[in-house]
Amino acid sequence: MAIKYKILKAINISGMNFLAPVVRLAVGEDPQKQLREIGRFIVVPALAFLAFLLLWSVLAPKHKTKAGEVPTPRVTWEATGGIWRFHDRETRKDEAYQFTGGQRLEALVAAKSRMAELDALETKAKAELATVEASSKEKYDAVVGPVKAAYDKARETTSESRRTRTEALKTEAAALANSGADAREEFIGHLKAAEVTTGKEKTDLDSLKDKYTEVQSIAFPETKKAQRAVTLLAEERQFLVKYIDMLGEGSREVKVTESKAKYDEAKTAFLNAGPDEDLFKLGSSLVKRQELMATTETSSYAKPWTLPKQIVRSLLCVFAGFLLSSLIAIPLGILCGLSPTFMAATAPFVALFKPVSPLVWLPIIMIIVGGFMPDPANHWLILLFGKIPFIGNYKIDPMFLSSAITVALCSLWATLVNTALGVGSVDKDHMNVARVLRLGFWSRLFKIVIPTALPLIFAGLRISLGVGWMVLVAAEILSTSEGIGKFVNDMYTNGSSQSFAQMFVVVFIVGIIGMILDRIMVIFQRLVSFDNASSAI
Amino acid sequence: MHEQHLESIMEPNLLNSRRRFLSLLVATPTLLGLAPGISHAEKLAVEKDTLKLGFIKLTDCAPLVIAKEKGFFEDEGLQVEVTAQSNWKVLLDNVITGNLDGAHMLSGQPIAATIGIGTEAHIVTPYTLDLNGNAITVSNSIWEKMQENDPDLDSDKPKHPISAAALKPITEDMLAEGKKLQMGMVFPVSTHNYEIRYWLAAAGIHPGFYSKTDLAGRTDAEVELSVTPPPQMPATLEAGTISGYCVGEPWNQQAVAKGIGVPVVTNSEIWKNNPEKVFGVTKKWADENPNTIVAVTKALIRAGKWLDETDASGKLVNREEACRILSQPNYVGADFEVIKNSMTGTFIFQKTDVQDMPDFNVFFKHDCSYPWYSDGVWFLTQMRRWGQITEAKPASWYAETVKKIYLPEVYLKAAKALIAEGHMTEDELPKTTDGYKVATKDFIDGNEYDGRKPIEYLNSFKIGIKDEAALSSR
Amino acid sequence: MSPIAQFPPRESFLKLDHVSIGFGPENERVNILENVNLSVKENEFVAVIGFSGAGKSTLVALLAGLEQPTAGKVTMAGKPVTRPGPERGVMFQTYSLLPWLSVFGNVELAAKSVFPEKSKREIRGHVEHYIEMVHLTPAMEKKPHELSGGMRQRVSLARTLAMQPEVLLLDEPLSALDALTRAVLQDEILQIWEQEKKTVILITNDVDEAILMADRIIPLTMGPKATLAEAFPVTLERPRERRTLTENPEYQHLKTDITSYLVNLNREARASRGTRIIQMPSVAPKEFRPKSRVIGIGGKHA
Repeated sequence: MAIKYKILKAINISGMNFLAPVVRLAVGEDPQKQLREIGRFIVVPALAFLAFLLLWSVLAPKHKTKAGEVPTPRVTWEATGGIWRFHDRETRKDEAYQFTGGQRLEALVAAKSRMAELDALETKAKAELATVEASSKEKYDAVVGPVKAAYDKARETTSESRRTRTEALKTEAAALANSGADAREEFIGHLKAAEVTTGKEKTDLDSLKDKYTEVQSIAFPETKKAQRAVTLLAEERQFLVKYIDMLGEGSREVKVTESKAKYDEAKTAFLNAGPDEDLFKLGSSLVKRQELMATTETSSYAKPWTLPKQIVRSLLCVFAGFLLSSLIAIPLGILCGLSPTFMAATAPFVALFKPVSPLVWLPIIMIIVGGFMPDPANHWLILLFGKIPFIGNYKIDPMFLSSAITVALCSLWATLVNTALGVGSVDKDHMNVARVLRLGFWSRLFKIVIPTALPLIFAGLRISLGVGWMVLVAAEILSTSEGIGKFVNDMYTNGSSQSFAQMFVVVFIVGIIGMILDRIMVIFQRLVSFDNASSAI
Repeated sequence: MHEQHLESIMEPNLLNSRRRFLSLLVATPTLLGLAPGISHAEKLAVEKDTLKLGFIKLTDCAPLVIAKEKGFFEDEGLQVEVTAQSNWKVLLDNVITGNLDGAHMLSGQPIAATIGIGTEAHIVTPYTLDLNGNAITVSNSIWEKMQENDPDLDSDKPKHPISAAALKPITEDMLAEGKKLQMGMVFPVSTHNYEIRYWLAAAGIHPGFYSKTDLAGRTDAEVELSVTPPPQMPATLEAGTISGYCVGEPWNQQAVAKGIGVPVVTNSEIWKNNPEKVFGVTKKWADENPNTIVAVTKALIRAGKWLDETDASGKLVNREEACRILSQPNYVGADFEVIKNSMTGTFIFQKTDVQDMPDFNVFFKHDCSYPWYSDGVWFLTQMRRWGQITEAKPASWYAETVKKIYLPEVYLKAAKALIAEGHMTEDELPKTTDGYKVATKDFIDGNEYDGRKPIEYLNSFKIGIKDEAALSSR
Repeated sequence: MSPIAQFPPRESFLKLDHVSIGFGPENERVNILENVNLSVKENEFVAVIGFSGAGKSTLVALLAGLEQPTAGKVTMAGKPVTRPGPERGVMFQTYSLLPWLSVFGNVELAAKSVFPEKSKREIRGHVEHYIEMVHLTPAMEKKPHELSGGMRQRVSLARTLAMQPEVLLLDEPLSALDALTRAVLQDEILQIWEQEKKTVILITNDVDEAILMADRIIPLTMGPKATLAEAFPVTLERPRERRTLTENPEYQHLKTDITSYLVNLNREARASRGTRIIQMPSVAPKEFRPKSRVIGIGGKHA
């Protein structure tokens, strides 16, 4: 029983009230009512979403763009699979590099057997592609052939007729050597008529040409599908080749063994060097071999950034910016709320800088930050960040800092305004209580003012985080700092057949993450709200 | 024997670099395979073993990608991260600030940066990544108009190379209406800019001058050129903002695949075997990491060789695998089918006009990867021709400037090491005494280019700034 | 524990001496309270009674030190009152509980502020004592929004008492409650007063309440320029029993006296306002229908 109330309280705090009827139903409380509520708050939205998917699936193929068809939900889902596959393969390569002993050999065997399977699959897929292409070509020729023939013929006829006309006119001109004005006028008339005919013939020819061009662009989805199947297999083969290499000769284990062997060789050579051999040279080479051995032991595969890692980096950046903006906005907001003079001084800045877009701030910030860090690799701040255990893996560099600062600059306004409002609207009676109790300035601030303002502050923080997330993706695209924005940029510049679908995938990913972030803020907001006038949805 | 060969390569004017080279020989505890008797080279003691290299998503970043994927970097003891940059400016900035150790760069970038066009920084290059690889694409409507002006173009397989002559009446018509034809290229100091200007000027169309006050290069222009990032080019072409562009692959083949434009001429038709991209680092980085730069160059040479490997029948055997690798989303990312065409030696002008172009991308053949001084001088002459270099310079300035930027001595060091290791043969080294190629007429307009005579070359064009002949002897 | 009251109790422990308070510039001042004189003996229970809007809360604010008079002096134990403080504990009409603190937290805040030198354990004991006094121990950890009106007022009382003030100023503490809860709380307050022996000034609008609880009842005249009229002493014996009180003839007289006095006050106020009737101009009704040009059709007065 107590558990039920605990769960319900948790649900209430998290603002996910649509789950409450489920819990109540599970306990058997008033089933009719719960079912109705479930129907209204869970089933209906789910149906709405399904309807949306349906509408999308139906409308998308109707619109053909030069970048291909608008992706349907299924295509978008497949693109997600593609992104995941890439990430998975790179992770496996990374792991493979570091496999040792039995694990490595097992993986090698498995990979090789898969490779053998692939051979058969690829042959089959290629054969199918060939058949499909052949039949497509037949269809293509069947449709395009006659149109082409008609166009070619028309082209010839047109130029021929033009030629004859020009000849005739020339002959006429020649015969007019000693003619009078009337004859010459008539001739002009003939010329004009000829122009008109030429024009008309050209228009007819052009329309045939348009038809010819149009007909050439018929698409064969079966070919695309067969093509895609072949491509997927070929990509897997490509991956396996590299994977097998990284499990075999390219693996760290093997390399370390080789490097150790070389070291031992050099050592023996050094120790057994005769009197006329150059000890300096041999000694130096020994030292170098040892260094090489050390580096090889700690080397790792230079894995390219994949979307999951980019997402984490984006989140780190948005939190950094959000933290920075809160650190600036909350104290400033409190000052503004407490002192009308300060508020009056700050108000013009707020009004002026609030509407500025992040894409305008970013280049400025990049230059300024760059000025602070002429040699980023050796700057103390960068080195410091590099040492922090989890964060150090995500390469904090000036671009990251620029993006974070831009996020801060764009998102601090909401918190600032809300904090000022919250602080300024402290209940007079509460202040009277403080006066009666003779609370000092700091006590008043922390025990009365800030707690009163806290719900509004958190409302502001929630808005700030939302704004920050939007700004971040835009800033990352511009600053090419690794993150979701970079993924979007790369995907766009790839211009591949998958790019269009991947753009839709990004929409959903960014949306889902934004939703989660917002939900977290709602929970915080509700935790500090002391009345049941809780936050909006 | 090796020493002798080395000396014969290095001319008196390279005395300084030779001295530097020799001092390196003494200073570095590790000797390369220069001293006779060592049959396998020691791995170089690289100063930095984790590198970050940048590239732009164009197919000619291939040597960098292949060097990583095929383990050539690892063989040199380097763990290299190869990351895509969003545009040329960001790439250059990252190299300058040190975020990147080095990058895939336009040939013009090290030159422009060193002489102060745009962001100023001393950038050097020991390796030319590729030759050719660009094309000029026009929109469907412009193509139709060109076909009207020149009926020979109106066929399924028109004759190549196509000059800009058919474009001239279009520009004249537009000028009469008070408008100018708009075309795009990727960067003010990119090879694409110079190539499209060369092509237009060869047909008598003025592409505009740069000046101290006109940094967009539109003075006196009959056709206006603007900078557009490659991935946006197809979209802007479709929208009609530009009527054509000059860019590398896969963006021309993309236009054909999507039916939004027609490539009319490739840059190999404008200048046969022209230098396209280089591998650039800052001078500071090169000075601080002498062994690393040689190690990187070694890996790149091997990558270039691998890419250009040809079997007995003349087929490029590794290109398909290269395309598979390049089509990964973290590299070029475009579809395999789109990349495959040009990289395997086929260029599609129109669906009906598929041409064999085995040298569309050259990564090692024809002495591609050696950093030729004459390449640098060509770019300098074009920069002066169009006014990016705002003052007249004497001929000696051209020669001295390229010496600051191109590092053939590093290339040779790397090559020598590879020869000793057996990855390269002596006859794959370019035979040159001064780093200048012989004079050539392989241009679309047949004009002769001799890198040793920059001023005469400058003055040989109909359209373009001309300098005093006296400067040629200074 | 409660401080030992000085023996004997001081006269004029709390004093208002020709106090006026108003706003506006000197020459155009509008006085809310004018020329108020009040002298409260130590440990006395005084009730101030009046209509709403007369300025009762202003009176409390003056006594507490929350407002300063524009004329006259407010003194306590001979010393002028310039600022509020815990020696003059105020119980507000709207309770003023801090909503984010529990019952315990609200009372603790007062205790900690007034007795910073006490240890944590002492404070805890102190707070629990006063919560027990108002019979709220079971609800100690609840937040204000979980309490009923009566419980909240009890918390307010406990908080005020925890300050151990010398004077208790109660600003219509029970007006927002229903009659039954009111009765309960009246008894509690009386009980506590008997125990703690503090000086209490109660502002109320309920005559019964005043008679039940106070030693003296002072009416507040109508505003603006309200002042304290002459006091009605209450000589009924304590402890006073609500049920038996209504039958007490002295109570009945007192109630009638006070009530009629207040009603008279009201009538006078209205009357004095009444001389300011504005004469409306004498106008005849306007003709609303125009004269018709057609003969036979038109207004009545065609």
